[in-house]
Amino acid sequence: MTSKIINMAEKIKDAEDRLLESLFESPPLADDGFSIKIVRKVNRRLWMRRLTLPVAAVIGGAIAFKPLTGLVSILSGLSTMIPTELLSGAASSIPQFQTIVLGAILLGVGLLSMRLLEE
Amino acid sequence: MTASEDRDLVARAVSGEDTAAFGELVRRHQSHVRNFLRKLAGDHALADDLAQDCFLHAWDKLQSFSGRGSFIGWLLKVAYTTFLQSKRKSKRYAEILESAGHVADQESRHQVLPDDEVTDLDKFLAVLTEEERAIMVMSYACGLSHREIGDATDMPVGTVKSVIFRGKEKIRNSFDIKDHQHG
Repeated sequence: MTSKIINMAEKIKDAEDRLLESLFESPPLADDGFSIKIVRKVNRRLWMRRLTLPVAAVIGGAIAFKPLTGLVSILSGLSTMIPTELLSGAASSIPQFQTIVLGAILLGVGLLSMRLLEE
Repeated sequence: MTASEDRDLVARAVSGEDTAAFGELVRRHQSHVRNFLRKLAGDHALADDLAQDCFLHAWDKLQSFSGRGSFIGWLLKVAYTTFLQSKRKSKRYAEILESAGHVADQESRHQVLPDDEVTDLDKFLAVLTEEERAIMVMSYACGLSHREIGDATDMPVGTVKSVIFRGKEKIRNSFDIKDHQHG
């Protein structure tokens, strides 16, 4: 109710307000390809945004490839340090043990590479 | 051109990154935004460049349009912010030039209209400060309510009213506006 009264009060204009309105009034400007130019720029931005992540991933992957291969070889070296009895025992109790270990290593490497890429 | 149509177009543009819907919004409001910036900047080419920047910023920030006020009010807020940022940048640029020993010619930095192209409105706008000019243009040229102007300029409604009052007084004191006709 109060806001309606305020709006009505605003709409009550004196002669000076009306004169100012007519002085400030400008003829509408023709679009003349303005909106098309904006849409084209927006589309270009969208494409850039869509391309940025894959391109960054490829570049990051290329940069991180060498350190990652080194990391994988270190991890595979570490896996030889695990006693063979433990491995065979675990393998007999859990049939997919080797796959799980490999998956865990890959997950670790994946997380590390993600962090490297982010950095 | 209704507010609900604007809101629908915004929803379409935001939800599916529908650039055609955004293009329609630009087509609907470009005249208001460009006229607003032309009155603020006083330079048509610069104002049109700023209008382009404004619409690109608007696209980036479109999710932040809550739909509470009018879309043109929100858009003029983006336009005003773009104008102020550009002013700040050019001021910094001028300072760098000055510190580097270049004496920049004030006249060359601000396009001066020939005498025969200076309208009554240009004369009125010249006596106002930047803030007063923006608020008066929003009120009298764009037809925004005091509340919408407050939202656009981050000012309380009371301050908007007093700025308009002050602007009118300045114009009244500088010119006999009753003698002026449109143009």
